[in-house]
Amino acid sequence: MTAIPAAAAGSGANGGPDAGAGGALSLRGLGKRFPGVVALDGVSLEITAGEMHALAGENGAGKSSLIRLLAGIHRPDDGEMRLDGVPYAPTAPIDAIRAGVRVVHQELNLLPALSVAENLLFERLPRRGGGFLDRRRMDEEARALLARVGLDAVSPRTPVEQLGIAQRQLLEIARALRGEGRVLILDEPTATLTPREAGRLFEQIHALKARGMTMIYVSHHLGEIFSLCDRVSVLRNGRLVSTERTVDTDPPSLVRAMIGRTLAQQAPVSGATLGAEALRVRSLLPRNAPPDGRIDFSLRYGEILGIAGLVGAGRTEVLRAIFGADGERPGTIERDGRPVRIRAPRDATRAGIGLLTEDRKAEGLVLPMSSAVNTTLGALKRVANGGFLRPRAEADACRRYAAELATRLSGPHQPAVELSGGNQQKIVLAKWLFAEARVLMLDEPTRGIDVGAKAEIYALLGRLAAEGRAILVVSSELPELMHLCDRVLVLSRGHLAGKVARADFSEERILALAYSRFMRQAAS
Amino acid sequence: MPDALTAAPPAIRWRRSRLLLRDAGIGIALLAMVLFFALAAPDFLSGANVGNILTQITINLILATGMTFAILVGGIDLSVGAVMALCAVVAGTVMKGDGLSEPLAVFLGIAASLAVGAVAGALNGFVSSFWSIPSFIVTLGMLNVARGSALEVTGARTIYDFPDSFIAFGTATLFGLPLMFLLALLLLLVGWVVLTRTVFGRMIYAIGNNDEAVRLSGHRPFTTKVAAFTVTGLCVGIAAIVYVTRLSIANPILGVGFELNAIAAVIIGGTSLSGGRGSLVGTLLGAVIIGVLSNGLILMGVTDFIRQIITGLVIIGAVILDSYRARLSRAA
Amino acid sequence: MFRRSFVSALVGAGTLAAIRTPALAADHKPVVGLVMKSLANEFFKDMQEGAVQHAKERGDFTLIPVGIQSETDIDGQIAAVENLVTRHVDAIVIAPADSRALLPPIARAIKSGIKVINIDVAFDPASMKKRGVDIAFVGPDNRDGARLSADVLAAKLGRGGKVVILEGNPGAENGVQRRLGFMDSINANGLKLLDSRTAHWETEEANSVFANMLTAHPDIQGVMAANDSMALGVVKAIDASGRSGKIQVVSFDNIPAIRPLLENGKVLATVDQFGAQLAAMGVDNALKEVQGQTLTGWIKTPVKLIKGRDAG
Repeated sequence: MTAIPAAAAGSGANGGPDAGAGGALSLRGLGKRFPGVVALDGVSLEITAGEMHALAGENGAGKSSLIRLLAGIHRPDDGEMRLDGVPYAPTAPIDAIRAGVRVVHQELNLLPALSVAENLLFERLPRRGGGFLDRRRMDEEARALLARVGLDAVSPRTPVEQLGIAQRQLLEIARALRGEGRVLILDEPTATLTPREAGRLFEQIHALKARGMTMIYVSHHLGEIFSLCDRVSVLRNGRLVSTERTVDTDPPSLVRAMIGRTLAQQAPVSGATLGAEALRVRSLLPRNAPPDGRIDFSLRYGEILGIAGLVGAGRTEVLRAIFGADGERPGTIERDGRPVRIRAPRDATRAGIGLLTEDRKAEGLVLPMSSAVNTTLGALKRVANGGFLRPRAEADACRRYAAELATRLSGPHQPAVELSGGNQQKIVLAKWLFAEARVLMLDEPTRGIDVGAKAEIYALLGRLAAEGRAILVVSSELPELMHLCDRVLVLSRGHLAGKVARADFSEERILALAYSRFMRQAAS
Repeated sequence: MPDALTAAPPAIRWRRSRLLLRDAGIGIALLAMVLFFALAAPDFLSGANVGNILTQITINLILATGMTFAILVGGIDLSVGAVMALCAVVAGTVMKGDGLSEPLAVFLGIAASLAVGAVAGALNGFVSSFWSIPSFIVTLGMLNVARGSALEVTGARTIYDFPDSFIAFGTATLFGLPLMFLLALLLLLVGWVVLTRTVFGRMIYAIGNNDEAVRLSGHRPFTTKVAAFTVTGLCVGIAAIVYVTRLSIANPILGVGFELNAIAAVIIGGTSLSGGRGSLVGTLLGAVIIGVLSNGLILMGVTDFIRQIITGLVIIGAVILDSYRARLSRAA
Repeated sequence: MFRRSFVSALVGAGTLAAIRTPALAADHKPVVGLVMKSLANEFFKDMQEGAVQHAKERGDFTLIPVGIQSETDIDGQIAAVENLVTRHVDAIVIAPADSRALLPPIARAIKSGIKVINIDVAFDPASMKKRGVDIAFVGPDNRDGARLSADVLAAKLGRGGKVVILEGNPGAENGVQRRLGFMDSINANGLKLLDSRTAHWETEEANSVFANMLTAHPDIQGVMAANDSMALGVVKAIDASGRSGKIQVVSFDNIPAIRPLLENGKVLATVDQFGAQLAAMGVDNALKEVQGQTLTGWIKTPVKLIKGRDAG
């Protein structure tokens, strides 16, 4: 590893001083586009030195994109950043680290089999001549860093896999404190912590703040934002909509700012005549759900039922539990009024249930293979005769559904990998229609799909419901759910927080339910 | 997430033709090799020598045909050489059993070889997919189990003196071609039909590409994986019979390192080691390339050690080609 | 590294088991440890069984036979020697997997008072001198045996006969000696060597390699195979080419499978080095040392030329 820049080379041995001079961050007109998506649009923000600044916003509002620009993972398309008045344009994470901008990411990046000291100092291991590690200095440096996050009791030689999740989170922070830090960015640091663990984390954050570290704090937990931060900025659809001192605002107005949009309501997709009960779920316990996070609901033919919730609320897990993707789960599932035992996806497909996963490429499609292969994969028997495939029948099936779903293909032999996101989604849909699934479950069906194709998918789902299929949709986009669904189930931290009927749809109401479990915690 | 799947049609067509060119590349390489040896060694293209080459590649071709199934489904089978020895000595022991009429002895011997191969293959498939252990490790274990069993069955001794009607197959020809090579070709053809025309073959490719997508489409990849490894084992049983008829002996130390030749043929043939991509046509070309290389270099008088170096370089070259192929499809 | 320690662990375990099995010599009979090479090889298997049989017949010593996993498992053999030293055996008879690498543990055994007899492959003389030991070698003269076999071929073909050699594993001492013996005969009798290649002692490879040699040199009249397994493959290749009777084969070892071919004339001659008795002869010499004799140098064991039906 190369030496740290002269400006930052104060004293590495003891973890450096708490905060270097400054840490004032100035963002001007930041823009970032991905194909089909504007992630950030003209964001300007001044963060003063020593301030603790919160970033709030819905899923996909642009918080993560902003952090990635600051961390040097992506580069902005427009605008500029300045750190203590000097232009700051990191082209790689190492640049950000050298400039003293440290990020504690939501997902932990620790090496479980290595020791605490090795993890803490991994970016620049103390060494003696001849490439040998200087174990004594490693222990000393590690102890100093551990002390700064209140982990005095942890030995630097302990393998990280023996630590609890909260300790690991603190370890991540300790790692970010090495050397001279100017700005510390915490991305959802409490997402995986229990309230008690979070409490211990807050103590250390307070201590850092007292020492004058500039911090950017990203969280869904409004309670945390109000108790920890000086100011809060709200992002929505990639734009900065407000920046206020936390003492000047309150949680309800923050939620309003996050939703904000005066959306011209599109004509609802749903509204087909409802038929008999297609699916009933009783006391289902999805994977990773809290022990009392039992799910109950029913779904009728012709109905489009939405599942809302924040990232990590357990929405995908509900679909996977019904589909048997995580093995047999506690609880009962009834199809057409009869209980069915679902141990694996095979049982679900036999019961006429299909799942369109969020990650089409990894779980929905066999990418290098042809559209025809992917279309028929769920019901190969229908295109086979005594174990032998009938290529004509396969191609016909592919063409038929391509026509029905208006999939743009060069032909049945075109590999799925060459199709656009929207057309790939239609191929997955075709697979389930060809397999005659009457209950369709869709996880984020429009993720990564451009606006025009989204409208097509909405119309298709409406038509499929009208034809009498039962549809269950998970989405992070509230307008999408409100546009599509007859009813919406809202999950909050693995609990079914409420069911909202179409007549009562409002983003505030759904979001309030989605945040309900967090509010409770903040209050206590 | 950036979505780069909206490739323009001309780009696709250009890429396709490049892919095609590269697939044909194996054939072109073989052709060039044949041409080179024909010029460098006058007897290379003689009928007798072509017959020799075909005889010499037969066992590897059968093993590689089976190996293609294991590799396509996303696995590998390192035990084929050792299992082949076990099949051969079990067949030999059965055939030399007392009081059997000659046709019955031959029939039982062949049946025993196929059965041992199929069971070993099925065990490989079962253990690796039931407990999700890399087949690399499981078949490495099977290699030792089979080799040890073969030694145990025979007490390390060579079995010889088989019925003439059985041995005659080893030297029989049809239309001037070795009968055993025609058998291997037939097997390859059957395998090709299975892989390209049946539900089973479709599942093998799909699982090799994306196991999870297949499971989430309502299938049990487990069954297909076990079946694919069973096919590999069945081919080993057939190869063992061919070995015994060709050399008139069965000993427990035969087939050492044969798995590596079979894997080399599959990989040179363009089948991806990560599974899901490749064909038996490629495997045929790969086996022929290895056979031609070995034969041609001896005819040219190249020394043993240099011959080994050249063979190694060809394998490495083929794997480099495979990495380009993987990169190309990722870039798609 | 993993593989090495894994294999040694396996062998170590096998060795321990082998050492524990025989009743410990409480009856004051001398205990002789027999360290063999891979028992997967028919030759060594026979040798060990011969020694076991011999121990039963003599009845005045206890034999501890130990084998290893493969021809080249040097680690395993070292572990086996060390274990025997720990058991305080009276003598060790060893067929070393390597003529140098086994010397250090063997020298330690000698220093601790154990008598050692070397069989099959001789320890390297220079290395022995360096270690200050002089271990008696009991074994056949592979070179001389190979020459005897080749001489039969030379007599059949006459001067100027065109021959090829199929060698054993490159680097294997007995293979090297046999090739030298073949060369001695070729030079002495004025034969013409067309080609010489390894087939790694293996039947199938010998079959393929020889078929290809035959294409390159259609005028081959004779073949010298360094062992019978390879000769089996050569004979099949000659049969397949339709040249039975026109190309003569000589080889080495006299395994049971070669005997029918000697009888029907497809193989001219082979050499029996009485492998089954070799270990027994080693044991007898070791017991002589235990009784106080000092043996050094090469104690040659007999090699016998076995002529087939058509040998002159």
